[in-house]
Amino acid sequence: MSKVTTNPVFIVAGKDVSDAGRDRFILLVTLFLTVAAIVSLVTGAIALATDVATYDAAKATLLALGKPIDAIATPEFYPLRLLRGAIEQTEIIGAAIAILMGYRAAASERGRQTLALIMTRPVRRWQFLAGKALAGLLLLTGGLFVVLSLGAIALHLVSGVGLNTMDLLRIGIVWIVAVAYTTCFFLTAFILTLWMKRPPQALLAAFCLWLLLVLIAPQIGDTLDPDNQVAGGVFAQLHIAKPDQVEIMKGFATFETVRTGIEAASITKHFERFAFAVLGIKDTYAGVPLGAILWEKWGDALFILLASLGLGGILLVLPIRSDRLTKE
Amino acid sequence: MTSYSATTTIAAHAVRLALRERMVALLGLLFIALVVISAWLGWSATSTVNNIYVSAAAFLTDTGQVVPPNPVHNISPLSLMRNMVVYVALIGALSAIVIGNRLVALDRRNGVVPLISIRPVTRAGYALGKIAALVVLVGALTGVAAAISAITFLVLPQTALTGAEWLRLLGYFGLSATYMLLFGLLALASAAASRSESVGLLIPVTIWLALTFILPSLTANILPTAAINPIAALAPAPDTAFFHWTQTLFGPLSLAESYKIASAALLDFLPAGRGGILPLAATGWLFTATALSAASAAYALTRMDRTTGDLDV
Amino acid sequence: MSNPVISIQHLTQTFRGATAVDDLTFDIAEGEVFGFLGHNGAGKTSTIHMLTTLAPPASGTAVIAGCDISTDPMGVRRAIGYVPENVRLYDALTGRENLKFFAKLSGVDDPAKRVDETLDLLDCKDIADRRVGDYSKGLRQRIGLAQAVLHRPKVLFLDEPTSGLDPMGIKMLRDIVARLNREFGMTIFMNTHLVSEIARTCTSIGVLSHGRLVYHDTMKAVTARYGDDAALEELYLSLTPVGRLAGAA
Repeated sequence: MSKVTTNPVFIVAGKDVSDAGRDRFILLVTLFLTVAAIVSLVTGAIALATDVATYDAAKATLLALGKPIDAIATPEFYPLRLLRGAIEQTEIIGAAIAILMGYRAAASERGRQTLALIMTRPVRRWQFLAGKALAGLLLLTGGLFVVLSLGAIALHLVSGVGLNTMDLLRIGIVWIVAVAYTTCFFLTAFILTLWMKRPPQALLAAFCLWLLLVLIAPQIGDTLDPDNQVAGGVFAQLHIAKPDQVEIMKGFATFETVRTGIEAASITKHFERFAFAVLGIKDTYAGVPLGAILWEKWGDALFILLASLGLGGILLVLPIRSDRLTKE
Repeated sequence: MTSYSATTTIAAHAVRLALRERMVALLGLLFIALVVISAWLGWSATSTVNNIYVSAAAFLTDTGQVVPPNPVHNISPLSLMRNMVVYVALIGALSAIVIGNRLVALDRRNGVVPLISIRPVTRAGYALGKIAALVVLVGALTGVAAAISAITFLVLPQTALTGAEWLRLLGYFGLSATYMLLFGLLALASAAASRSESVGLLIPVTIWLALTFILPSLTANILPTAAINPIAALAPAPDTAFFHWTQTLFGPLSLAESYKIASAALLDFLPAGRGGILPLAATGWLFTATALSAASAAYALTRMDRTTGDLDV
Repeated sequence: MSNPVISIQHLTQTFRGATAVDDLTFDIAEGEVFGFLGHNGAGKTSTIHMLTTLAPPASGTAVIAGCDISTDPMGVRRAIGYVPENVRLYDALTGRENLKFFAKLSGVDDPAKRVDETLDLLDCKDIADRRVGDYSKGLRQRIGLAQAVLHRPKVLFLDEPTSGLDPMGIKMLRDIVARLNREFGMTIFMNTHLVSEIARTCTSIGVLSHGRLVYHDTMKAVTARYGDDAALEELYLSLTPVGRLAGAA
């Protein structure tokens, strides 16, 4: 037998991956995320089509009146921007799905006392844990590949614009970082479920963390942004141009530091900043070469990669307590 | 034992057990903490906008430009609580799901369902007891949130509310309790019907995810991160046939949106052009959905398998 | 005793400040069927957890098939099989699929072939391709036993193997245990609180009471001294504080 088939890490991982193949759960959650991502993409495209139609109508009016069309700004079209909704769904729902997967990976062993059967075999603790983590990583990689591939295909069909190699490369890079991002939540739920006294409590604890890191911290940061407190934006209401906004906000440096500090504590915000930059979703990065974006945003990607590696390290040194071998 | 005393015994016992659950207590505390934070956020953001206005006004005056009116003056004092709408929709709903799940899962996991079933307790009595316990616990959470909000308005300067505004605030908390109950009842039903404890928890969580992040995208092109911003979540749908169609078809189901619209109307921060019959319709949908949820909980609880004493993980 | 297959030396376990197993010392010879008796909460499962390397002892050690549980746990695991109380396995997989997985983890050379042989040995071939979730309690116990003997261990640990079984199931289990002992020379370490099973199955017994070993002898000596099952029960009851209370009553 080959080293792969006899290595406990691959035996454990192989079993979990093959179980997932026949378990409707993985299929259902991948479908759920895919539906969420494509709904966001399609509705975004329809909304954009409305904006384009509005521009075309305005242009036609101006031409009919014999006026120059440079009075109105031509909307710049970056097809990858339509992936904004899909990225946000991955941030939120993708992370929740990763938690469910991590929980199930551990709870299924505790619930059936199979943990005791595995740990009384010549399998080292770290081999079993590494096998479980590897299975989770493979499933998340596959699931996100399906979501982003279908998203890219839908993008092409909806926008009518072909995606070039660079576009696909950008999507590929976001895919890799998305895997690292969701792996953090998988590992968190897996560690908690293996460690806490009752698995359902661990699921709730993991969801609380999800709530805080994915929703609340970014939301607080967003809410503290004064521009979001007035409909249409406070500076727009006061008719103050961008350079002057920066000048005024200099007087609120501490406030901004606290606000951005809260946002920076959230791994979700790092993923969002990275993905939005690479895909040109954020205005300031639209049309910017990929190399320059990666150079600027390497810190966000590193944060996510280090978080996933750190959690992986914690998992491998985690002792499996004998009183956690059963479900209670 | 009369059916009334059986129901109250079950309800009282369920409340006592749930309060001892660490996760229930933790979530409850988290919810209260966020209520306090939302009050601070509302005050902080508004006062920051005011300070920005003062700086901007000085800047505009120095550069000889016209100074527009202060946008803060158009903001109602009730809208200080706008972030609470988001937190009720997030952690309030999740807390209610956990409470609803625990009220039934604890009995099933501890194997006491057969022991209760052989006693003179009707199925309806058991169901009513659990629903009553949920109402008490959700009511308590909302009550604490209401008290904190009331104290905030009494303590903060320049936030004196009129009689009508106090009534609106009360109405808002009634609406919030209803929204939370909607999810709590779904969780009760799911915990009673599911064969595994985690599936019983996951079904209402999945419904909540869909209502909070997917439906608003479908009916109004509201992106997920916008859905958790109190102002951005109220943006009108683009004026196209597609969104008119999805609004008609899925609007009544988009309960998170309905809650936010109705709350914004009560707390006086609904954007212009979104008033009229819309908040009333939204409130109607919410109450209908909660009633249906209660019916499903009652049905599932009265049909629950009372012979098995174990619950799979 | 020369070259015992299990040598327990001052094994102690504590749990939340209380002593669950207190300075356990005794040996078990190769080929024995050892019955470990004790009241509920005596420390039998804690003892098995330490011997199977699931839990580290607070102090003391044990040597199983020449391997120390503290310094060579992998060696111990290659030499033992373990059937926990109320074993369940993976409900969604068939018996055969469950066994194949555990055979691979045990390092068995030809897992498929060994699984077939073991299914034959335990007379489970006809149920092997059904989902474990659909098995009765008795069938689960048999498949649970099958997973423990796939790699033909030197020592087999059974924790309350008759728990929840009907008389037919108990007899079947007894016959299988006897066969494994006879044909493969497996040493059996069996936790139980059923005195009748001890008398029928075991060649030596130990009695644990509140974490302490209060009796250890061969069944020959016990039978010679005390006679039949009823007398054995009297002996057991007299040794445990709970028994003493019942006896007084």
